[in-house]
Amino acid sequence: MSDVPILLEMRSITKEFPGVKALSDVNLVVRAGEIHAICGENGAGKSTLMKVLSGVYPHGTYDGKIIYQGSESKFSDIRASENAGIVIIHQELALIPGMSIAENIFLGNEPRKRGAIDWKAANRMALDLMARVGLEEDPDTLIKDIGVGKQQLVEIAKAFAKDVKLLILDEPTAALNEADSKHLLDLLRGFRSRGITSIMISHKLNEIEAIADQITILRDGRTVETLDVKADGVDEDRIVRGMVGRELSSRFPDHTPKIGEVFFEVRDWNVRHPISAERQVCKNESFVVRRGEIVGFAGLMGAGRTELAMSVFGRSYGVYESGTIIKDGKEIVLKSVADAIDNGLAYVSEDRKAIGLNLLDDIKTSTVAAKLSKISHHGVLNEVEEYQAAEAYRKELRTKAPTVDESVSKLSGGNQQKVVLAKWMFTDPDLLILDEPTRGIDVGAKYEIYGIIQRLADQGKGVIVISSELPELIGLCDRIYTVFEGAITGEIARADATPETLMKQMTSTKKMATR
Amino acid sequence: MRKFFGTSVVAISAAAMLALAGCGSGRDGDSGSGGEAAKGFPANSLIGVALPAKTSENWVLAGDLFSNGLKEAGFQGDVQYAGASTTVADQQAQITAMVTKGAKVIVIGATDAAQLSTQVAAAHTAGVKVIAYDRLITNTPDLDYYVAFDNFKVGQLQGQALLDGMKAKKPNGPYNIELFSGSPDDNNAGVFFNGAMDVLKPEIDKGNVVVASGQKDVKQTAIQGWKAEGAQARMDQLLTSTYGNKELDGVLSPNDTLARAILTSVKGAGKPTPVVTGQDSEVESVKSIVKGEQYMTINKDTRNLVKETINMVKALQAGDKPQVNDTKSYNNGSKVVDTYLLPPVAVTKANAAEAYANDPKLAPLTK
Amino acid sequence: MSRLKDLQKNLFGGTTSNARQFGMIFTLVAIVVLFQILTDGLTLRSDNLIALFQQNSYILILAIGMLMVIVAGHIDLSVGSVAAFAGILVAKSMTEWDLPWPAAIVFGLAIGAVIGAWQGFWVAYIGVPAFIVTLAGMLLFRGGNQFIGNASTVPVPEGFREIGSGFLPEFGPNTGYNNATLLLGLAAALAVVWREIQARKTRRAMDADPAPMWISILRMAIMVGVIAFAALRFASGRVGTSFPISGIILLVLVIAYSFYTRNTAGGRHIYAVGGNSRAAELSGVKLKRVNFFVMMNMSVLAALAGMIFVARSAASGPQDGNGWELDAIAAVFIGGAAVAGGIGTISGSIVGGLVMAVLNNGLQLMGVGTDRVQIIKGLVLLLAVAIDVYNKSQGRFSIIGSLMRPFRREDSASPPDAEREPAKAAVSG
Repeated sequence: MSDVPILLEMRSITKEFPGVKALSDVNLVVRAGEIHAICGENGAGKSTLMKVLSGVYPHGTYDGKIIYQGSESKFSDIRASENAGIVIIHQELALIPGMSIAENIFLGNEPRKRGAIDWKAANRMALDLMARVGLEEDPDTLIKDIGVGKQQLVEIAKAFAKDVKLLILDEPTAALNEADSKHLLDLLRGFRSRGITSIMISHKLNEIEAIADQITILRDGRTVETLDVKADGVDEDRIVRGMVGRELSSRFPDHTPKIGEVFFEVRDWNVRHPISAERQVCKNESFVVRRGEIVGFAGLMGAGRTELAMSVFGRSYGVYESGTIIKDGKEIVLKSVADAIDNGLAYVSEDRKAIGLNLLDDIKTSTVAAKLSKISHHGVLNEVEEYQAAEAYRKELRTKAPTVDESVSKLSGGNQQKVVLAKWMFTDPDLLILDEPTRGIDVGAKYEIYGIIQRLADQGKGVIVISSELPELIGLCDRIYTVFEGAITGEIARADATPETLMKQMTSTKKMATR
Repeated sequence: MRKFFGTSVVAISAAAMLALAGCGSGRDGDSGSGGEAAKGFPANSLIGVALPAKTSENWVLAGDLFSNGLKEAGFQGDVQYAGASTTVADQQAQITAMVTKGAKVIVIGATDAAQLSTQVAAAHTAGVKVIAYDRLITNTPDLDYYVAFDNFKVGQLQGQALLDGMKAKKPNGPYNIELFSGSPDDNNAGVFFNGAMDVLKPEIDKGNVVVASGQKDVKQTAIQGWKAEGAQARMDQLLTSTYGNKELDGVLSPNDTLARAILTSVKGAGKPTPVVTGQDSEVESVKSIVKGEQYMTINKDTRNLVKETINMVKALQAGDKPQVNDTKSYNNGSKVVDTYLLPPVAVTKANAAEAYANDPKLAPLTK
Repeated sequence: MSRLKDLQKNLFGGTTSNARQFGMIFTLVAIVVLFQILTDGLTLRSDNLIALFQQNSYILILAIGMLMVIVAGHIDLSVGSVAAFAGILVAKSMTEWDLPWPAAIVFGLAIGAVIGAWQGFWVAYIGVPAFIVTLAGMLLFRGGNQFIGNASTVPVPEGFREIGSGFLPEFGPNTGYNNATLLLGLAAALAVVWREIQARKTRRAMDADPAPMWISILRMAIMVGVIAFAALRFASGRVGTSFPISGIILLVLVIAYSFYTRNTAGGRHIYAVGGNSRAAELSGVKLKRVNFFVMMNMSVLAALAGMIFVARSAASGPQDGNGWELDAIAAVFIGGAAVAGGIGTISGSIVGGLVMAVLNNGLQLMGVGTDRVQIIKGLVLLLAVAIDVYNKSQGRFSIIGSLMRPFRREDSASPPDAEREPAKAAVSG
């Protein structure tokens, strides 16, 4: 294929954030008319790379060169890259639900006649664009009235309205069902035959294997390799190896687990989606946790791990349908978060800033927030006890802050996470559920947090860790459940856990117990 | 350390208290007020005027007249309007501020006549004379004077004009008439109606005048909110129910807005124009009178009312008792208030030019 | 650390929120001094101070409730209408049903509670935005007031008027002052001293160094001085006048609600809900209960404010409550509350309300018409909020925050994540 002209070349791109090197010397070569997949774990730098390409991070904020259509491009913002024909379609669709298909396609780009929007022309052009993406709808239909699959097509039509040369799709099929996914992949093949170049970021390795011409694999902000699917005879296992192949040993503190008996059990757990009741987000899930055990939950984004955890934690997500929770041999019913806390459950949420912390608070207020009763008498707070509790955790977890009066918004991600951990440790839980406990945290702080998790387990607590980083689960957990599309598909003991086995079960409905 | 702390605290508080107490209190025993017949006050004293929000031309005109009139008389005038939304609270605060500033007389055109007793009492105890302007302030024994047009007289004039007008058109009765009165929540509406009935009742009893619909009670004749559309609807209904084959000779209307609505209704029904009374000298009605449609209106000249009020202030300044002409009719719920009543003037086509000669806006209409 | 730095750091507390409050108090003092000069000493004269408190106590009571509503992330537009509705019912209950006035007050509070439960139900349990619920309430209860009162004015009996226009009684030897007010001032001074001692104890218990002794003493001296000045002023009014009863009611409420919002679990839940409702919910806070409570509490306070106004006006009228919601909301925002919720204090709101009150009063004393007073008040509100927003967008916390910056400890924490979220827009003077 090397005779095909190069459309885009990104040369030794390096992008640094304060304290974190997100991209380090990354290279990417995309040839005209191919479908180029970019693979890598969460946090490998895929999104950052695309943001550099599309001008979200403007020229000058990164090192390296972008050579596009034979000359160096210095995009100052998204508009500049779009004018050059590079259009990104994000995972979260940027459509306005209350507007029609035509209005959305031409939003910010409306065809005008004497200053006024020419709706006749707009509708005619919209129909033409919709035909190109195989969307059969009235252009006046509102976005909210069509399914996610068709919405995705509208996004692509919108890209065509801007005369696209390079189409970038970020997880295009993550939210789609099988039929819609298939249609979309067919469409991409059609574009290829018409000479349109696509870059596709996806976690669904089977799709990549089926459609991509070239695959570039990123890991830890570096280019690992670029594979030619046909020439190299690439299959899923080969991709997985490229994605996860790294040393794990030194990233975790030494730990000998002291595992007791089962004390917490969830049986036949069924939960429906809070808005669309026909969607079942937890399908008959059952699992157990032993004292002193760290249990991992592996799965792709959107597999339903967070939903499972939150629905168990006082039904704080979705609509409970059926299922029982048994703790210390007795069935418990947790109808609210307060119930869950009272029964010794703690949930450290995935998104610290959005739902884990009140960023207006200081460290001490945050630390005691989930169990005010511990520092109050007849509802009146005791400032001294509050201070002492917060100070004790600050010292124990080595949170880097001058005093516990510091606002949590001023802390780094790792220290914020320590405050959240302190907040839940303060509730004296028996079972801690940690959802992506190390997301957005640098390596050093991760090590510390692993240590905290292990200490908690050694105190006889049960710990559940939900993570998208397979090496983390393998390095930290005593046992790992895999979750796929709202169902538990496997249970793997630490000794048997490899990224390959996990990845296989995370991407298939087949239940393969290797216990 | 602790001990030093405690002692210092006590010492400091004590010192502070003493130091301030040492200044002595300026507490005036029973403030130089309340007493009888103060001996006047300096000619350049502050005179407060608190008026309602600027919602009608009349209040704006009154405010301007007060500003200029008080200045001419050598006083320091402080004319305040209530705010557009928080009217009562504003007026309360304004009156209190006038007292604080040392006003000698406060003239109040009340926003709500029943909600000022606390402020009037405060003014009274501070020795300030309070004059109620146009609206009688109720439920307070501390109000000194009241200046207003004689509303009962307004009604009487309307009644008399109605009789005169009908007699001029048709020398002999019996005459068919209909009665209208103002909004039931407005105190003045009843006063107007009673004044008119004072004149009409004897004629009705004699059978010389007939209320053909039989609706003679003030409740039956009331128009909620002084709304023109309400009067028009009631007249339409009366015409169809009562005047299918009868002649309508006259209508008692309490004001100009309602009078014009009544005339519109009668015209719409194709009936000959009856004698219709009015009040307020609104521009449209003055035009209508000159054209010969509406029969009469009442002229209550704000200039005269303000002039009389300033005369009262002048008398108080000189230490005299202001002139009043009614010391028994106006009971505000706590006391009978000394009142100066100005006579309203009935205006028909015959005397319009003369009556409005001094009014720059209405005078041209009568020529 | 030099003495000067000690002073700057400790006198009004080192934390930013205290610095903001200091800014507000500073603004208030500046306005008072300005008008004291412009009005030739009328502003701080006994009778004017007394009138100022009487005229504004009901707005300040509303501001207490409004602060809690706004901190929880809501708004209440209905307070004026609720006040008017409760006012007319209470007035009628006394004049027409011959309810004794103490019973009528309880009746009025009950009306507030019922209305509050109604509004709280829609906000907390159905999830209708408070803006809509209270906009509806504004129409509903204004209409109710007119329906019941028929646009007429209903006078109230003497006993009831005390809560709006009464004063502390005269008793004891003739000291040339109102003795009750003096005692009140003494109690307040002792309370300040006691609090300072407690605060030092607390600091020590937290293994933190209390501020240097001389600073504590200086701070107390200032507070005691202000209290003594105010007490003497209020006590030296014309015989028969002294500290107003409505001021006492306000004082009790301010102390009680400050304690509630600062020092109890319930109060902290309100801030948690306003700061991040999802995080609060996941920390076990009962969201619905908190929302229900703040809305209900607001209506009870609105009913109380309505009764105080009626008592002061000696009658309930159709104009009662017009525009009160805006005064209360303005007080809260000038007092440093955040539009998005989660930030604000009772004392800040009271100071904010007093800034508006003194401004209003001072301009009236100068004979400025209401039209211009409204223009000036509007500009002050806008400026107070705009200055703070601007300063935040410049990376500074507030004017005062930036003034105090050189004296604050430098942040030693590492920089936050690459993606900073925009800080909540907070406001202060």
